[in-house]
Amino acid sequence: MIKINAPIAGAHYTSDTRNYPWHRPPDITDYDEAVEYMIQMIDAEEKTEMVFAMLKIEAHIATVVSTLLLQVIAKGKIPIDLAILIAGPLARYVEIISEDVGIKTEMGVDNKNRMIITPTLLRTALGIVEEDEAVEQEDLMMAAPAEAPMGLMAPPNPDVAPPDEQAAMLGDVPVEEEPEDVV
Amino acid sequence: MKFEQAVQKSIKSFLKGDMPEKLMEMKEGGLMYTPEFFDDMQEQYKSAEAQPPEETEVDD
Repeated sequence: MIKINAPIAGAHYTSDTRNYPWHRPPDITDYDEAVEYMIQMIDAEEKTEMVFAMLKIEAHIATVVSTLLLQVIAKGKIPIDLAILIAGPLARYVEIISEDVGIKTEMGVDNKNRMIITPTLLRTALGIVEEDEAVEQEDLMMAAPAEAPMGLMAPPNPDVAPPDEQAAMLGDVPVEEEPEDVV
Repeated sequence: MKFEQAVQKSIKSFLKGDMPEKLMEMKEGGLMYTPEFFDDMQEQYKSAEAQPPEETEVDD
């Protein structure tokens, strides 16, 4: 008998999704109010630092704005459609404040080959190496073998084989002349 | 369309000077944060930058 790995019909009625903030009515539904809320959020010291840090690693303004908007959507502050509507004013505001502090920015709305920010990229750009990784790397450095590695995949040995061994390896073995029949 | 793409499209149209028409009709007195508002803001930032900082007198 084939078992189907899927939920039974009506299973979705049993799960309580009301706990997700974006499933409840949003806190802000007005355009101006939403823009004002986001501007105040960006003006907070921690957020400003984050925005400038992202822009300094050449992240586009569109990327920064969508990151900020996703944060407030996840909190249930602003609905998704309003977030998309206020993306323009926010991008403009980020552009103005970054210009004011002398950070070169790119809006990132035309270029399709935009840089995707990943946690690894951000960590590398900020020079953050996790402690465990650093300790592991140090251990590896300490445990490095002093002897030359052996085996099939080992790098070639700098000591060259003597000529006769090389000739033997190439099959150039001197044939010993058989002695003539001794009468 | 992904969220990021929608954001890019929205930014692009705002930079062109487009505003959500129906939303503007619904709101009495119009919307505050328009492209013109941000143009003025940019001008203010630039003019503030151009002005030298005021010298403060230090009491002896």
